Amino acid sequence: MSLISLEDVTVAYDNKINILEKFNLNVEKGKLISLLGPSGCGKTTTLRLIAGFLEAKAGKFTFKDKNYTNIPVYRRNFGFVFQNYALFPHLNVFENVAFGLKQRKVPKSEIRKRVPEMLELVDLNGFEDRFVTELSGGQRQRVAIARALVINPDLLLFDEPLSNLDANLRIAMRVEIRRIQQELGITSIYVSHDQEECFSISDEVAIMNKGVIEQLDSPSVIYKYPKTEFVARFIGFTNFIDFEVESSENGKLLLNSNHSKFRALKTNDVKVNKSYKGVIRPESIKMKSYIENEKQSENSIKGSIKISTFLGGLHQYVVNTELGEITVNSDREPPYDAGENVILSLPEDKLVLVEKG
Amino acid sequence: MNKKYFYLLLLPCFLFLLIFMVIPILVTTLSSFYLDGRITLEGYRSFLTDHYFLNILFRTLRISLLTTTICIILGFPVAYYVSKLNVKLKFIFIAAAVFPLLISPVVRSFSWMAILGREGIFNTLLKKIGIINEPIQFLYTELAIVIGLVHLFLPLMIIALIGVMENIDYDLVKAAQSLGASRFTSFIKIVFPLSVPGLVVGSVLVFVGSLTAYTTPQLLGGSRRVMSTLLYQQSLTLNNWYTASIIATIMIVATFIIIGIMNKIAQKLNPKG
Ligand SMILES: Nc1ncnc2c1ncn2[C@@H]1O[C@H](COP(=O)(O)OP(=O)(O)O)[C@@H](O)[C@H]1O
Ligand SMILES: [Mg+2]
Repeated sequence: MSLISLEDVTVAYDNKINILEKFNLNVEKGKLISLLGPSGCGKTTTLRLIAGFLEAKAGKFTFKDKNYTNIPVYRRNFGFVFQNYALFPHLNVFENVAFGLKQRKVPKSEIRKRVPEMLELVDLNGFEDRFVTELSGGQRQRVAIARALVINPDLLLFDEPLSNLDANLRIAMRVEIRRIQQELGITSIYVSHDQEECFSISDEVAIMNKGVIEQLDSPSVIYKYPKTEFVARFIGFTNFIDFEVESSENGKLLLNSNHSKFRALKTNDVKVNKSYKGVIRPESIKMKSYIENEKQSENSIKGSIKISTFLGGLHQYVVNTELGEITVNSDREPPYDAGENVILSLPEDKLVLVEKG
Repeated sequence: MNKKYFYLLLLPCFLFLLIFMVIPILVTTLSSFYLDGRITLEGYRSFLTDHYFLNILFRTLRISLLTTTICIILGFPVAYYVSKLNVKLKFIFIAAAVFPLLISPVVRSFSWMAILGREGIFNTLLKKIGIINEPIQFLYTELAIVIGLVHLFLPLMIIALIGVMENIDYDLVKAAQSLGASRFTSFIKIVFPLSVPGLVVGSVLVFVGSLTAYTTPQLLGGSRRVMSTLLYQQSLTLNNWYTASIIATIMIVATFIIIGIMNKIAQKLNPKG
């Protein structure tokens, strides 16, 4: 049984367009799940709905088998970490962290014990008397995390908590967030538009597009086997080739594109005689120079180099083929020249069929 | 531009204020310490031991304090509501709040006379409903002055409060609620302290405005004098410029004391404000 379940939830602002429509999401206890998607796809809306900042027009939100749909924010006991920290500017660090405990009428002596413990956990001991304006961005976000954690929340919600920090700090902080989350075993939902960030800290990632979850899987499954064209594009697949499925046997597919035959593994639910996009990452394709009269191996295709771009350590090539332009990475030295004829081979376990989107 | 010449921009305004404000205030204040060719506090002693004068001083402070308090109580919810509206509605509400400022205090006081008088709208209404048999004395009481002043100064309080409240990040309120604070508690613990700078500006404007208002207490207060009407009477009716300068000095000092107290309160409520 899931800890969190959203069933057919519909949300709109000012009662206009539905941002989420019949939206469903289930999260298991103790997991960190991320919502990943382009700006404006409804990640924050989903998070605010779960937090209780927004009301659903329709649908049901269940938490621990209880109907939470109409429970107000302040009774939910969920911690929320905001993108802009949302620390109270008129209170010092100690008072910020103590805020939730005071609302719970925790005795003063215990507050004086628990606040420093929390600050210790986020590596900010000794900062009790500082005001928010006297802290750096990273320190502010640590205070915000401590403030959300000190109430022992049943659920922790993060809305792009690192996007206002610089790159190095972002990496350090996401490791920190994951460490704390696992140390406390606290169920968390993490919103970001940064793929690497989500993949590195999550048990599961939900890829969202226009208010819909297109795929929810572990990061490694999503990375290797996207289900839709949108997901593939979003996580860095660059090649999209039209294929028709000729046959499907024992988990192997025979594909046809422009009279060339290709093989692929069956990773998604595909139907025979239907057409799909075959997607493959530029680094998964093998490239070698074309040699006249050499017998071509399976899953390979002839092409000629059109554009070459230096990426540092390797080159990225755009190759003209019968199947259209294909992007390939290669670290061969010396690099291929423009116009040079090459053979590309697409490994069958790297070629993934997805729904056209 | 050279910093030295930058200060020249202040010069015209500075000269204006110096000639028409600072010097007259100094002359007025200093002359209150000067009687029969010697420097003395005698004038203050007799003012502050005279029951008639003291009554007026305390009445003035009482009326100003009450007016300010009522403006805060009425203005706060309105300002909070308006500050959360979208730009267009906000503009309409602010315009509506400012609009009364365009009507002269004289006209407004006369309207209140028509409403609060013995045969005024209010008494007639109460008699019609049968709550009273004899008209109640509203006009020419302290209450009438307070009502008139609240009407006069509420827009200032509202505008001062909207100014700070619309800059409060609403995520702070959400954060407070997610930490267990109810709507009311989050207002008291977050919105209120962060509004203190606006509250101070609004309160100073209203308090000082009430302290120095002339038309409203004159028309609605009848024989109940306040410092400003007393000042007028002493100077222009009785030609007693010495007492008048003492009254003026006391009003100036009172103004500064009030501003000082407000700032102290502000620092207590919001140390970072
Ligand atoms: N307060 C609001 N009022 C009206 N529309 C909003 C509001 N907040 C967000 N939206 C709209 O809802 C959609 C989803 O927004 P959001 O959930 O913030 O996206 P994300 O967090 O994925 O970037 C966007 O089209 C946005 O314009
Ligand atoms: Mg967002």
